[in-house]
Amino acid sequence: MSLDRRKFLKYLGVAGAAAGTSMLVSEGIKTKEKGAIGPLTAEAQTTTPQKHDYEVKPGELDAYYGFWSGGHSGEVRIIGVPSMREIKRIPVFNMDVATGWGITNESKALLKGRFCGDTHHVHGSYNNGVYDGKYLFVNDKLNNRVARIRTDYMETDKIVDVPNIQGMHGLFTQRYPKTEWVVCNGEFQVPVPNTNPSQKPADYNGIHTVIDAEKMEIVCQVLMDENMDLAATDYGGRYSMTTSYNIEKGVTVSEMLGSDYDYMLVFHWDRMKKALKDGKYKVINGVKVLEGREGKSDLTIRIPVPKNPHGINVSPDGKYAICSGKVSPTCSVIEIDKIEDVFNGKLKPKDVIIAQPFIGLGPLHTTFDGKGNAYTSVFIDSTNVKWNIQKAIDNEKLPEEKKKNSHIIDVLDVNYQVGHIMATMAETKEADGQWLVSLNKFSKDRFLNVGPLKNECEQLVDITGEKLKLVHDSAAYLEPHDCIIVRRDIIEKHVKDRYNMFDNPLAVTKSGVERKGKKVTVRLTANAPVFGLTEVNLKKGEEVTVIVTNHDEISDLDHGFALSNYNINFVVAPFQTKSVTFIADKPGVYWAYCTNFCHALHLEMRMRLIVT
Amino acid sequence: MKNIMVLLFIFVLSSAAFAEKPKFLEHRYEYKLEDVLKADKYEKKDRYWEAYTGGKLVGYILLSKDWTTQHVGYSGKHMETLVGFDTKGTITGVKIIFHAEPIVLIGLKEDNYDNFIKQYTGKSILQGMSVGNEIKMDAITGATVTAVVQNAIIAESAKKVAGTAGLIKYAQQKGHKLSKKFDTLTWKELMDTGAVKNILVTQEDIGQQGGKEPYIDLYFGLVGPPSIGKNVLGERTYAEVMESLKEGESAVFIFSNGPGSFKGSGFARGGVFERFNLEQDDRQYVFTDKDYKILTDIATKDAPVLKEGGVFIVRSKDFDQSKPFKLKLIIGYRSSNEKKFKPVISEYKLPDKFMEQ
Repeated sequence: MSLDRRKFLKYLGVAGAAAGTSMLVSEGIKTKEKGAIGPLTAEAQTTTPQKHDYEVKPGELDAYYGFWSGGHSGEVRIIGVPSMREIKRIPVFNMDVATGWGITNESKALLKGRFCGDTHHVHGSYNNGVYDGKYLFVNDKLNNRVARIRTDYMETDKIVDVPNIQGMHGLFTQRYPKTEWVVCNGEFQVPVPNTNPSQKPADYNGIHTVIDAEKMEIVCQVLMDENMDLAATDYGGRYSMTTSYNIEKGVTVSEMLGSDYDYMLVFHWDRMKKALKDGKYKVINGVKVLEGREGKSDLTIRIPVPKNPHGINVSPDGKYAICSGKVSPTCSVIEIDKIEDVFNGKLKPKDVIIAQPFIGLGPLHTTFDGKGNAYTSVFIDSTNVKWNIQKAIDNEKLPEEKKKNSHIIDVLDVNYQVGHIMATMAETKEADGQWLVSLNKFSKDRFLNVGPLKNECEQLVDITGEKLKLVHDSAAYLEPHDCIIVRRDIIEKHVKDRYNMFDNPLAVTKSGVERKGKKVTVRLTANAPVFGLTEVNLKKGEEVTVIVTNHDEISDLDHGFALSNYNINFVVAPFQTKSVTFIADKPGVYWAYCTNFCHALHLEMRMRLIVT
Repeated sequence: MKNIMVLLFIFVLSSAAFAEKPKFLEHRYEYKLEDVLKADKYEKKDRYWEAYTGGKLVGYILLSKDWTTQHVGYSGKHMETLVGFDTKGTITGVKIIFHAEPIVLIGLKEDNYDNFIKQYTGKSILQGMSVGNEIKMDAITGATVTAVVQNAIIAESAKKVAGTAGLIKYAQQKGHKLSKKFDTLTWKELMDTGAVKNILVTQEDIGQQGGKEPYIDLYFGLVGPPSIGKNVLGERTYAEVMESLKEGESAVFIFSNGPGSFKGSGFARGGVFERFNLEQDDRQYVFTDKDYKILTDIATKDAPVLKEGGVFIVRSKDFDQSKPFKLKLIIGYRSSNEKKFKPVISEYKLPDKFMEQ
């Protein structure tokens, strides 16, 4: 075909999917993009073809799935990267009246009446250091729960309560050989068990928890004196690591700032497994609790870092854990391969810190491009700082006056006050250095003024070049903390368009009403534009369970079931079944109707519940 | 023997799941065999009738539900159709026995459906009955899914009976196996060998301003042979598509650029792609959203730009990738704010080099 025609069609080019195929860019665009594409782009192995343009035009798809925590909205969100379009909100610990999460019997069984949640960290299940696309896990700092989202349906399928802790903050998944464990932290020290309110703060404990990823049950906990906020796992399946900012066991801000140093804590998984096997645990609130306190345990080590650190992130090559300083303007670079020698007593804990480069005022979290560079979010300076890890390590040997911060490659002002920072695939060994998202905590004047309460501002940064290039601002509702950005090919092959109807034993194949004493079961099929029954007669006071199965097979054809004046609404996706139970306490005629647009006769899709 | 009456309201429903379908959208009609072909004697054969006048065979009659129930319309249901044709393969009459197509929703009446059906009389099943060509959509404009599926039902059912009765003969040679060999091929090589076919409709072709600028510039081919599929889709997508295929299934890719769309929007609510289908011998293959995987990138070096694309799975095992097939495309456009359609048919023959010799 004519190649000329392509010029005016503004072709941006695609990379071959086969390994080693180079980026193909048409002449017209090549000049424009020159320099924007970094020299190491070809390193992106067998990846999705990349169009390195943040504008995703109508009909085009994003190259990455972004999974965002929703903070105190209690949900998880799916954001397309680089377009930054919000593609889905997954209700997790919250009530969502649109889908019926918290209204249906199935979701109530998971939520147990608690609709407040505070999701901070979403992480995926792994196989050999890369996401396997099967599950997402997310914590609830508020009610101390961990939820699992299955990615085929993109819905929450399990929630596990974690006892003995408060302020569940960091969460991370096992990266190697595959995700069997999920770890999470207790940030607020509390009495363990929490049965004696008069216990002194000095006797409070923090706890590190291990959850079985498949069973969604607690494997064990490790009892600590320290509190723990952020969490990470290594790429060898050996350790979980956390930061601790309150080794003082303070209960006020000044008390928590008392000590000049705090810790990065490391948990030794093989030793924990052995301790469990040897029965070296106490059972507290039904959970096996291992001893991890200083001087009483060989399961843990304490690496002293400048006081009140925050994020901990592991470089994609698996070599370094980077602890961001928060109140110290530095990051501590820990060489992971030296950690075993600390456990074995061959090295002192401080000896695993191989560099402590200056970053800026208020370093919080660090992400990676897979090319040896780190990108740290700096809260007080309101910047993203790009620095070279090896250079920082090399500089450590130089005298102070010769360092001159030469490890810092670029500094980008962000708007405003960044919290988390995440680059594409950065929490895997296939970090690809394409995009970075700066999750800023203040939006201030970046959007139309919407009153005193404003959205957050998330900024998309092109990191393919030497310099950081800010390309897009997007507003985010309260309040994402962290995210992961996953290549499209890893996820999309798992995602389904319809449920397997008969996986649900309640699935309705024939509509009808069944009575057992005061209990009535109403079974309904939903087929655009009708429910399987036109009316149901009920007696006042009967306990009614309505089960609805969507029989439309066409993808994206959802139905709602809403019952007027009964405060009930939920949505069933193709072949999905949901149920709701209520007392028919109001006599009269009540229309049930479809709330989710389904058909040209959607408005006519309704039926009567007649309560006498 | 004659005038076989079929009782009204015999609902043979495939599953209880759909038992509550709305009656207002369902239409069932009485029929007699003579409605589509007059004769004085009808002889029942296996799934069709022979019609005799004065002892002489004058034609054949069939019920589509005996032949092509896999074709379902916008309603998700098969449109049961009575078809008669003479011994030369000319349609003598067509009658709808049952349908649940929601044509009422777009302001159409049963009369409009009848008018659409009437135009089949006199058409030749041997020479072709393609929507947009021999068969016009004017009577049921807007009900594109219904028209395309109804056409597939009539054409395929009639051709199958014609084949059974010996009116049409198809080459009986066994299909070849596809070569498993992989060669890296450039886009030019894929086009030159015929592994990828192009349909180009210019603005001029549809009477619009813009001369030789493409209205739709479309490319299609078989996914199966690695030297085609892997080169076009890339290693990963190729592997994903091939893994998703069940025994006997095959896949084609279609992508295009230009302002025209081959996907249209009918599949969004109706689930059926109404702007294209495949034809091989007496068989029509219509695609639904369950057979579709979005295609957003072409891996071949120098490939034309992709504006929209898809991989479409041929579910029927009777599709033979080694034999020629046709892509029948109905290109929709607007002229003076009126909906118009331009039909294009392109034959695809897998080049020998992609088959085992």
